[in-house]
Amino acid sequence: MPKSLLIISRQAPWSGPGAREALDIVLAGGAFDLPIGLLFLDDGVWQLAPRQHAATLQQKDLSANLQALSLFGVDQVFACSFSIAERGLDPQDLSLDELQLLETAQLSALIDRYDQVITL
Amino acid sequence: MSTLHLLSHSPFTDTRLDSCLRLLGSRDALLLCGDAVYALQPGSAPFASLQGRAEALQLFALAEDLQARGLAAPAWVTAIDYPAFVELSIQHAKVNSWL
Amino acid sequence: MKFAIALFCAAHEPSSRRALLFAQAALAGGHEIVRLFFYQDGVYSASTNIVTPQDEQDLPRQWRELVTTHQLDAVVCIAAALRRGVLNAEEAQRYQRSAVNLEAPWELSGLGQLHDAAQAADRLICFGGP
Repeated sequence: MPKSLLIISRQAPWSGPGAREALDIVLAGGAFDLPIGLLFLDDGVWQLAPRQHAATLQQKDLSANLQALSLFGVDQVFACSFSIAERGLDPQDLSLDELQLLETAQLSALIDRYDQVITL
Repeated sequence: MSTLHLLSHSPFTDTRLDSCLRLLGSRDALLLCGDAVYALQPGSAPFASLQGRAEALQLFALAEDLQARGLAAPAWVTAIDYPAFVELSIQHAKVNSWL
Repeated sequence: MKFAIALFCAAHEPSSRRALLFAQAALAGGHEIVRLFFYQDGVYSASTNIVTPQDEQDLPRQWRELVTTHQLDAVVCIAAALRRGVLNAEEAQRYQRSAVNLEAPWELSGLGQLHDAAQAADRLICFGGP
């Protein structure tokens, strides 16, 4: 029984390589068929904002990597409703369809479900 | 299953403490390291926030960081050294560092 | 207990020292470190080109000594390292770069090694930030 790992992604998409490198951990785990979960929390929810144009900053478009999550077998993807609301984002208008929105009260139960966690 | 949360950012410039407190489980523990121990400065908002939740929380601080900053651990916080840090990481099912 | 220790910050950050002291305490307590995995800015903690003033703590040297003394498996993430200009001889040659700043006991490898370590360990502990 492989150990499960939850990645909590808290960085905005282009505040440095943080968001990209968090996603790389997730995709690498998926590629090895490991049970991986991904939670977008705090500024991490900006990765889900609609109508982003990474090319304007000569940056890579992370949403392509996000769309690849299910291809890599990562289907446990969550976002914090509070973080979304705090930032004025519309939970019905996020760039990722396959996403479970969680209330604050559900977050510690989510963390408890996983054997290990990395928050970056 | 309980989680040991690690914080090392100052609560005055950073939101990690607030976010951590929001999702802390009832059996989780919180270890303040580095600049996160500034949360234990009496008279500050983070101090009041932690004190208000002290009964329900297992709070720890790295002794060397308190000592370096001239801070004392209040009665509701346990100051620990590295061997105790290792033991704490074993007592809880996993460690969540707020990088 | 088996620990996997991941480091996400440079040697001058307090958490690099904190990770080193944790690792030392774990070993002194009879525990095993299955792997050290340096990711993101952690790759800088493995740089062999850091010059520390004599009156300051030489973290990169102390990390190397820890790895060598205890024969630890010490991995630096290759993607994170390349992006940050931390190259061993092989990669410097491959990309025609003029400097080598990563040497033994550090090895460059992929994120699979982080996952592998997490699977093998009882506890995964990460250090980073201030």
